[in-house]
Amino acid sequence: MNILVTGAGGFLGVRVVERLLAHGCVDIRCFLRERGKAESLLRLSESYPNAHLELCYGDLRSKGDCARAVENASLIFHLAAGLKGSPAEMFADSVVVTRNLLEALEERDSIALQRTRVVLVSSFGVYGVVPLGRGARVDEQTPLEKHAELRDTYSHSKLSQEQLTRDFQEKDGFELVILRPGVIYGPGGGAFSVRVGLQIGPVFFHLGGRNLLPLSYVVNCAEAIVLAGINPNSAGQVYNVHDDNLPTAKRYLREYRRHVKRIRTVRLPYFATRMLAWSLEAYHRRSQGQLPAIITRYKAAAAWGGNSFDNSKLHALGWRQLVSTPDALAETFAYLRGKETME
Amino acid sequence: MNLKIAIVGCGKIADAHVEEIRKIPSAQLCAVCDLEPIMAEQLSSRYAVPHWYSDVTRMLDEEKPDVLHITTPPQSHLALAQQAVAAGCHVFIEKPVAPCQSDVKEIIAAADAAGRKLAVNYWPNFEAPALELRRLHETGVLGSPVHLESFLGYDLSGEYGTALRRDPSHWVHRLPGKLFQNVLDHILNKIVPFLGEEEPNVEAIAYRGRASEAASAQLLDELRVIIRNSRVSAYATFSSSARPIGHHLRVYGTKNTAHVDFAARTIVLERRQPFPSALGRLVPPFLTAKDHLIQGIRNVSSFSHARFHYFDGMRQLLSEFYLCVQRGSPPPIAYTEILRVSAIMDRIFQQVYPEVRA
Repeated sequence: MNILVTGAGGFLGVRVVERLLAHGCVDIRCFLRERGKAESLLRLSESYPNAHLELCYGDLRSKGDCARAVENASLIFHLAAGLKGSPAEMFADSVVVTRNLLEALEERDSIALQRTRVVLVSSFGVYGVVPLGRGARVDEQTPLEKHAELRDTYSHSKLSQEQLTRDFQEKDGFELVILRPGVIYGPGGGAFSVRVGLQIGPVFFHLGGRNLLPLSYVVNCAEAIVLAGINPNSAGQVYNVHDDNLPTAKRYLREYRRHVKRIRTVRLPYFATRMLAWSLEAYHRRSQGQLPAIITRYKAAAAWGGNSFDNSKLHALGWRQLVSTPDALAETFAYLRGKETME
Repeated sequence: MNLKIAIVGCGKIADAHVEEIRKIPSAQLCAVCDLEPIMAEQLSSRYAVPHWYSDVTRMLDEEKPDVLHITTPPQSHLALAQQAVAAGCHVFIEKPVAPCQSDVKEIIAAADAAGRKLAVNYWPNFEAPALELRRLHETGVLGSPVHLESFLGYDLSGEYGTALRRDPSHWVHRLPGKLFQNVLDHILNKIVPFLGEEEPNVEAIAYRGRASEAASAQLLDELRVIIRNSRVSAYATFSSSARPIGHHLRVYGTKNTAHVDFAARTIVLERRQPFPSALGRLVPPFLTAKDHLIQGIRNVSSFSHARFHYFDGMRQLLSEFYLCVQRGSPPPIAYTEILRVSAIMDRIFQQVYPEVRA
């Protein structure tokens, strides 16, 4: 089976390639934009001398590069996405590139197209949790966001990407598997999800309180993606991806302060966050955007509304957490501590 | 009656255009357009713009806008501007106007022939300190200009810098002046109004600086230009290594010297002081401090009146441009200035990238 991994040089991509190799996949095309990100993949290649790891450089915004990327690939793990930058860039890097990739697939004949499987790595951000109220349980049946424009640009662009992929699937008939990870973390990643809080100047505003964090350790997340990708029964399915024994935002922050760095924090309870959001929105509107509305009531309800999470469908697929949550947190904090020391 | 506004080109800078258009009561944004439908749709969705298109001809036919904002890459500006004025639109063009001066001439000629107005997004020149500098110059407070220093810093690791570093096919790399051409308007358009009619000499050098080396970017990112005619000289500096990232203009006049800091939005006048001996060295810092204090208070006042947005100069420029469209008065930026800026740019790039010209 010829496998393509887009975004293979990224934080998650390298681990997905690693798990594919661990599962015995031997023919993998790693598509990446920057040559500087190939180092980890080259090391992997040395560790698996019997596997054929093809490094393919290009930009998925280019249709020609997409054609090169998908050539002969029957299993496509599509991880490439815009994680930061302006809204225009994030849409271009998530939605436009996905459209280009899926259009490149349409060049093959219909039988080959139907034998192709696309594994799309989406996000928890696509769920419309706001109308559900506080404490609602999020699983694969949770309705999708209806007001994406009110959410952050990342969630908006990921929802557009997922809807576009579904439209192509209906039209073209390829197999589609969608994974929606929560907060992916681990060595090489960031310290705080917005679900914990926001760093504003020298102060970290702790807004997550006792909410559960839907953490997904990067190795565990990669394992879930690969398992769903290679399992024949997962066609047409959606899987939420997060670990077991999830910590609360409060516990995560406490452990961070204990193991990484003492940071100045201000705890805002949910009602105070809502009031702050209301004030920011009102000022943003009145001043015509002189200060950005970094928190709105809608975003606050989505990020800090206190949901619980369900990964039983992923477990039913045979997924087991490779790294326990305490070990994963310890490894992450060790990495972050090292990074702080370097700086 | 409100002006109907449309935008073609839904990339990063289009957000700023949408936000500033929405602040002007006499303007109504009716549609946005991009060759890439996903980009047009996302902009329309995020700002609740009534209509979006992926075909500019269709948009012009169906929406019949009074003003078209052109925010596409500069290589497409000439064709779009010609099409827009032929369709009866006035045009507001993002800088750089075009890859070379001959294209700029054609754009202006097309607008003139169609009886339409044209403006370029020289927005920093319409911020309050820049307008104050213009007043000081026009009222003779500075005297005759002797020398100018125009400086612009750049962050290669920032949002814009990262985008073009990561993407070797980015349209900026295809401009004759590459990175410099995308920013040089903001350096030269501050110098040109002080040069007078006489054609200046232009000497330029460029090199790969520390920031470019550190980012492993293979692009020239330091530029030094000397511009001089028989009465006025100027230094134009672009640097992506100097910190903090500055944006300022210093005008040395025969009477006084003015320093405009576009990043901090201040203008400070350095006056000839009348005090003798040691007093003459004691007093000036206090006068400068007083100027800074006044500027700071003005900025706080602007902030409290919600007139301290990042692109406030663009709002001011657009207000003046829309007014000139409605009243048929002269445009806010003289076409001669736009042409002179592009002529100096051409001469800089001939020296810095001779192989591109060849």
